[in-house]
This record gives sequence, C-alpha cells and structure tokens, in this order.
Amino acid sequence: MRTLVKPRPLFIGLSALCLIAIWLSLALGPVSLPLLDTLRAALRLIGVPINGDGLEQAELILGQIRLPRTLLGLAVGGVLALSGVAMQGLFRNPLADPGLVGVSSGASLGAAIAIVGGSAFGGLPDAFGPYLLSICAFLGGLGVTALVYRLGRRNGQTSVAVMLLAGIALTALAGSTVGLFTYLADDATLRTLTFWNLGSLNGASYARLWPLLFVTVAVSLWLPRRASALNALLLGESEANHLGINVEGLKRELVFCTALGVGAAVAAAGMIGFVGLVVPHLVRLLAGPDHRVLLPASVLAGAALLLFADLIARLALAPAEMPIGIVTAFLGAPFFLYLLLRGRH
Amino acid sequence: MRLSTRLIMLCAGFMISHVSLADELPQRWVSAGGALSEWVSALGAESKLVGVDTTSQHPESLKSLPSIGYQRQLSAEGILSLKPDVLIGTEEMGPPPVLAQIRNAGVPVEMFSAEADLPTLEGTLAHLGRLLGDEAKAAQVFKAYQQQLEALQQQVKQAQAQHTSPGVLLLLGHAGGKPLVAGKDTAADWLLTQAGGHNLATHTGYKTFSVEALAGLNPDVLVFADRSLTGDEARKALMKENPILASLKAAKDGRIYELDPTLLVGGLGPRLPDSLKQLTAEFYPAAPANP
Amino acid sequence: MLRTENLQIRRGPKRVLTDITLEVRPGEVLGVLGPNGAGKSTLLAALCGELAPTEGQVLLDEDALSQWKGAERAQRLAVLPQTSTLDFAFRVEEVVGMGRLPHQTGTVRDAEIICAALEAADVGHLAGRSYLALSGGERQRVHLARVLAQLWPGQNGQTLLLDEPTSMLDPLHQHTTLKAIRAFADRGAAVLIILHDLNLAARYCDRLLLLEDGYPRALDSPQVVLQPQSLKDVFGLDVLVQPHPELGHPVIIAR
Repeated sequence: MRTLVKPRPLFIGLSALCLIAIWLSLALGPVSLPLLDTLRAALRLIGVPINGDGLEQAELILGQIRLPRTLLGLAVGGVLALSGVAMQGLFRNPLADPGLVGVSSGASLGAAIAIVGGSAFGGLPDAFGPYLLSICAFLGGLGVTALVYRLGRRNGQTSVAVMLLAGIALTALAGSTVGLFTYLADDATLRTLTFWNLGSLNGASYARLWPLLFVTVAVSLWLPRRASALNALLLGESEANHLGINVEGLKRELVFCTALGVGAAVAAAGMIGFVGLVVPHLVRLLAGPDHRVLLPASVLAGAALLLFADLIARLALAPAEMPIGIVTAFLGAPFFLYLLLRGRH
Repeated sequence: MRLSTRLIMLCAGFMISHVSLADELPQRWVSAGGALSEWVSALGAESKLVGVDTTSQHPESLKSLPSIGYQRQLSAEGILSLKPDVLIGTEEMGPPPVLAQIRNAGVPVEMFSAEADLPTLEGTLAHLGRLLGDEAKAAQVFKAYQQQLEALQQQVKQAQAQHTSPGVLLLLGHAGGKPLVAGKDTAADWLLTQAGGHNLATHTGYKTFSVEALAGLNPDVLVFADRSLTGDEARKALMKENPILASLKAAKDGRIYELDPTLLVGGLGPRLPDSLKQLTAEFYPAAPANP
Repeated sequence: MLRTENLQIRRGPKRVLTDITLEVRPGEVLGVLGPNGAGKSTLLAALCGELAPTEGQVLLDEDALSQWKGAERAQRLAVLPQTSTLDFAFRVEEVVGMGRLPHQTGTVRDAEIICAALEAADVGHLAGRSYLALSGGERQRVHLARVLAQLWPGQNGQTLLLDEPTSMLDPLHQHTTLKAIRAFADRGAAVLIILHDLNLAARYCDRLLLLEDGYPRALDSPQVVLQPQSLKDVFGLDVLVQPHPELGHPVIIAR
C-alpha cells in the first residue's frame, strides 16, 4: 500500500505551510514594502513605539489592508475545506462538495436579491451596503439548506439521497431566479452580481471579519470532536447506528455546521469554489481518510491554499485584482480532473 | 510697519500662498471613470494621470497607463502602490470598504456624479478645475462645450422645422449578439434626443426585445453600439446574429449607424458634440450640414 | 439476553413476520433458515432495532430495545449486515478499529483486541493493506473482524447478529468463519445467524428457526427441524437427511 504521511509530520508540515502563507500574504502586495519596514510596521501595530518615515503608510497597509485580508483568507479557506470534509462524510462520497446541500446557490440568491433589490431602491446605501449584502447572502444560504434538510426528512429519518436530489433541484431553482434578476438588472447591477459570483477577499475589514472568525473557530473546534463518529458514518448509516452513534443527530450537525460555515464564508467573500472539493482530497491522498487527522489538517491546508491563491489574485494583474474564484477554479479544476483520471486508491 | 515692508510682505504672502497652494494640488491622479479621464486630458492634465480604470479608453495614450481594474472592484493596495495624491471617480466606484481604506491612507477620494446632463457637467468641470488649480480653464472648456451643444440644438431645430423627427432605436451589443435596446433614462436616450431623434423604446434602462417587438417598432434609423467590435466587423456581426434586422425599414434604407459605446457611460464626455453632430447628420440627411 | 415476544411486522397490508417468540441464548448459536422472502432479514432488522415491531416487542435484558442508549446498546449488541459499502481507503485495522467505538478501553487494549479479532476472522495477514484493495470475500471477513472486535472477547450478556456472513466466501473460509463464530458462542456470547446453506446450519448451530412466509415453522435442534417433509414443504426441495459419518449432525442431500 502507498505509504501515508504520519500525523505528526503532516501537522508540522501544514502548520509551516500556513505560517509561510501568512508571512507572504503580509509581506507581499502591490505596494512593495521593504522587509525591514514590514517588520517595523508590525512592531508598531502591537504597540512598540518605533518611528521612521514611511512607517505610517506601512502600518496602514499592514494593519488595515493586509492583516484583515490575511485573516479573512485563513478563515474562509479553513471553513470551506472543513465543510468539504463534512459533506463528503455526510454523502459518504469523496466527490461531494458543500454546494450540494444548496448553501452556495442559496447564498448567491440572497446576494442577488440584495444587489438587485438594493438598486431598485436607488442603490445600496454606502454604510449599510456591504452588511446588507452579507446578511442576505448568509440568510439565503441558511434558508435553502434548511429547506433541503426538511425535504430530506421523513418519519424522523433524513434521507441523504433525497437531500442530494433536493439540493440539485433547489440549486437549479435558485440559479434560474438569479437568472431572472440578471435579466431585470441594469448594466451596473449586472457587473456587481458577476463579480460577487467570482468571489474576492478585497476590501476586508475587521468589522466584517469577526462574525466569520467566530463561526470558523466554533466549527473548527466542534467538528473534530465528531471525528470517530464520522469515520463510522462512512461504513453506512445503519452500521454507524449499530456502533451506537446517533446518526440522525450527526447528520443534522454536519448540515448545520456546513450551512453556518459556508454561509458565513460566502457572505464575507462571495462564491469561492473548489476549495471544499479539492482540499479534503489532497489531504486524504497524503494522510488517509481518518477524520481525526483529516478534519484539522483540512483546516490548515485550506487556509494556506486560499492565501496562496489570494497572492496570485492580488499580484498577477497588479494594480488591478483578479477575483479569487477564478484562481481557485483555474487551479482546482485541472487538479480535480487529474485526480479523477488517476483513479481511486 | 512701513508701507513698503507691508507691501513686500503682502506680495510675498500671495506668492507663498500660491506656491503652497500649488504644493497642495494633487500631482499624481488615479482615475476610476472613463469620462473623467477624458475630461482630465481635455483640460490638459493628462500627464498627471498615473493610473486609470478599464473604462478609460480615450485618448488612446491612456491605455498604456497601469490599469487599476474595473471601477466597482478596486484594490486599495493596488491604487496605493501608484502613490496617488487623489483618486477621482463617479459614484459607481467601489467597493466602499476599499474607498474607506484609501481615505484612511491619506489619499482624498473625489466623487463625481455620472448623470448625463449639462448642470452636472458644469459641476464636474468646476470641481476638476479646482483640483487642477485652473478654474478659469475649466469654465472656459465648459462654455465652449455648452456653445457647441447649443449650436447643435439650433441645427436640430432647423432640421425639425422641415423634416419629421425620425423614429430611432439604439442597440447595445457584444460582438453582434444579444443586443439590448436603450430605453428612457439612459445616456443613450439623452444622446438620441439631443441629436433630434425620437427614441421608440418606452421602457427604462436596457432590455432585450423579442424580434417581433423590434419588427413592430420598425424604426427609421437604427443606431448600434458594440462593446467588442468596431466598424464593418461590428455591422456584419450585428446583421449576422440578428437576421430580423435585415427586414427593418432602417436596414432597407441603409440607415444603420454606429456609435462608440464608451460614450454611453460615466456622464457627458468631451467627444460627445462630435458624435452628436454626426448623429444629427445621419438623422436628417436632407438638411444642410452646418459648417 | 435478546428476545422477542409475539413479534409481528406488517408492511402495508402484508404480514411479513407473524408471532415470533424466541430467545437468543448465551453460549448458543441460533440459525435462521428459510427461502427468499421468508422474512429472515426482516427478523434481523427487528432484532437490531432498525425496524419497529407492528405488534409485540423486542427486549434486551428485559428492557425494550428502543429504550437503550446508543453506546450501551452497542456494547452488548453487534450486527453484521450482508453487504457493506465503504468507498474510502481506510486500512484494514482502521476498519476493524471502528468496532471499538462504543467502548472506552484505550488505544493499547484496543490494538490488542483488533489484532485478536483479525486473527479470529483469518485476516491477520491483511493488516496494513487498504480496504479498497481487497476482494469481496476478504472485505466480508474484515467486517466480521470488526463486529467481533466490537464484542470482544464475547461473553455472557453480549449478542451477535449475522446476516449470511459466508455468502461470498470460499469453502475453506466458510468453515473457518463459522468456527470463529462458534468459538465466540463458546465463550458465552449469544449468536443469531442467518444462513442459506442448510449443511453449514446443521453443523454449526445449536438450534434452528425455520421460517415459512413469516411464520415460525419450527424452532428446535437441527435433528428435529431438518426433516425431509418440512424441508420439502418449505423449500420445495426433495431431500435425503443422513447423519454426518464423523460428527453425527444431519447432512442434507438433494435428491
């Protein structure tokens, strides 16, 4: 059998990767800051009184632009990867993606309503605008997922197969509703909608960051506690039941954590695809399917990979910016095809 | 204090204040609006531009400047890397958190209205004039523009006295396909009306029309604006993608004319009077052209 | 002890199981026989709590099965279904290790038990291999090791339910598997096993339940249950019943 990476080297490696990603994310950007300035600005941020010219700007770039963006990238990458693991466990299929339960399309629909509805009322008010968009996206994601879950429930049992079909149907419905909005929208609204659908870490601010950070930390602490139960769930629902696991409760938790996590991520950064699908795969290839390793490792891997993708998004077309969803799709899709062609191990 | 000393101090004061004012005038400009970039160039300050957005395509020389991307998806760090003294743009600039970050970095963000009417243009030019420290020139440019438009209006009135105003439709497309029809409350509508045409579309904004609706309206003149092609290529693509157009009266009479789509966004721009003149000539071919 | 009282299961208007009263006794292997559609799998489903009885009850240690909490029930009752789907590349010992989930015995003890269970199911040589790389028969034995690990070492108060654990195995492994199950029962566990092969049932079971259209036709030792007339009625097969030359249990020969 192919040798797997043992947990300890894996976590050391992934943590190092994460730290490198954080460092690069803070040190690199369209504004070229000399390394020394970055370090001194960082010290200033934590209160050490250092003076020097150009340091105010460095402090601003670091503290107001790059640091919140890095944190956003870590949180979004981590929570999307974690949700991918949860969904692949729920559907007992390594091809599952958080979008299957409808959370992404629901969030997209919520955002479309906010964007188009807002423009119908004369444009989203400046101060309120970003929050309204995020709130609508979050509620949309949660709402559609709740609907999918309800549809899958009968006689106190949740049928994963029915949920899958309901998710597909509702995704199609949400998509056509967004299509209707697209038709009704004017040029400017259309562009806003398009860019939102491509995802971006641009304009990250601490105010919008806290809810997502909170959700990410909560979900990242909660799900690993269910790791052994998730392992058993892969055997099959009745087998897991016979091992004493509350299967219905576990499924509910998985759906809820995914809805919460992905909803918050999409609300903060728009639609970013492929992370939930590809990162768990990568980690499984390295370290096997045991959730006790897979869950925490995926958080680290997702966070690091998204930061690397954001580096590309920020620097490739500087001073303009590429939507990060394009980068993840460009990197993720070919890799995924490669995985499929390589066959199962 | 003695008079001469006072006088010297007064003069010195003026000069110093003028110099320091000049120091305070922004020297490095980043523009996030096509029409604004054109006006800055028209006011002779093109050399001050260090970065422009994707809609700033005129004059051609702007295309060699660093691009800050689409005006609604600006990057704070990207703009700051150009070390600007000011960021100008319309209310379509965004996203708002990025504008806040730019302001926090000490770079003023000047907002302009994108409404397509003369009072707005007057305000825009006055604002730009202040930022350039040459209000007189700005007022002059506006006056000339206003006169040009008034002259055109005269021409249109004369033409309308003798000929009926043609029914017009404006189609905005992309490589000929899926054209949108410009309705009321669009810059296109303003253009068509200013040129003396009668916009047959009664809806608001840009909408797709069914082929029957197009045929039913049967305009005398068809104006098309293509985002990706120009000239004959654009015309061919339009007819190929929409064969119904061949049956329209405008097509049979050969009255299908092209318009630069960049004129339709961001408010009134400097190239407008020339386009208007051309449109009027196209609408009233029988009327004598004004030298 | 797992037992039923007047168990009846209906699906719509159809009676799938009627009037089943039985005990799965410690130290005993109870075999369930019957043609397709006789209700064997339904009985197993009811006994492990997957199907709720329409009438009657299923009791584990004198408490209704539905009242038992998950982990406690799983420490006493293990179920091996006929087929298992697992699409992920776990290692063999990880799959078996999942059987220890209901217990809190610690990794060292768990590792010992996993090892022993692997040996008992004759898959010890597969340790370290990926589950997905195994054949159907090997996978079946790995799952057997898992349920053995779940109840290891098998003693009084524990019940093992098996649905055709030998269906995909070659003749040698059919016997080694049943011997391992037999050893489990000998240590005090109660075992109920659904079998298709009458001869295997005759050899390894202490009692047999013969089901016909959901009715318990007979519940007794193999000698009593396996009569040519009963078998002809239930299976439609003409048979001869002879004692095994060495071991004495009934041997069924088709005519």
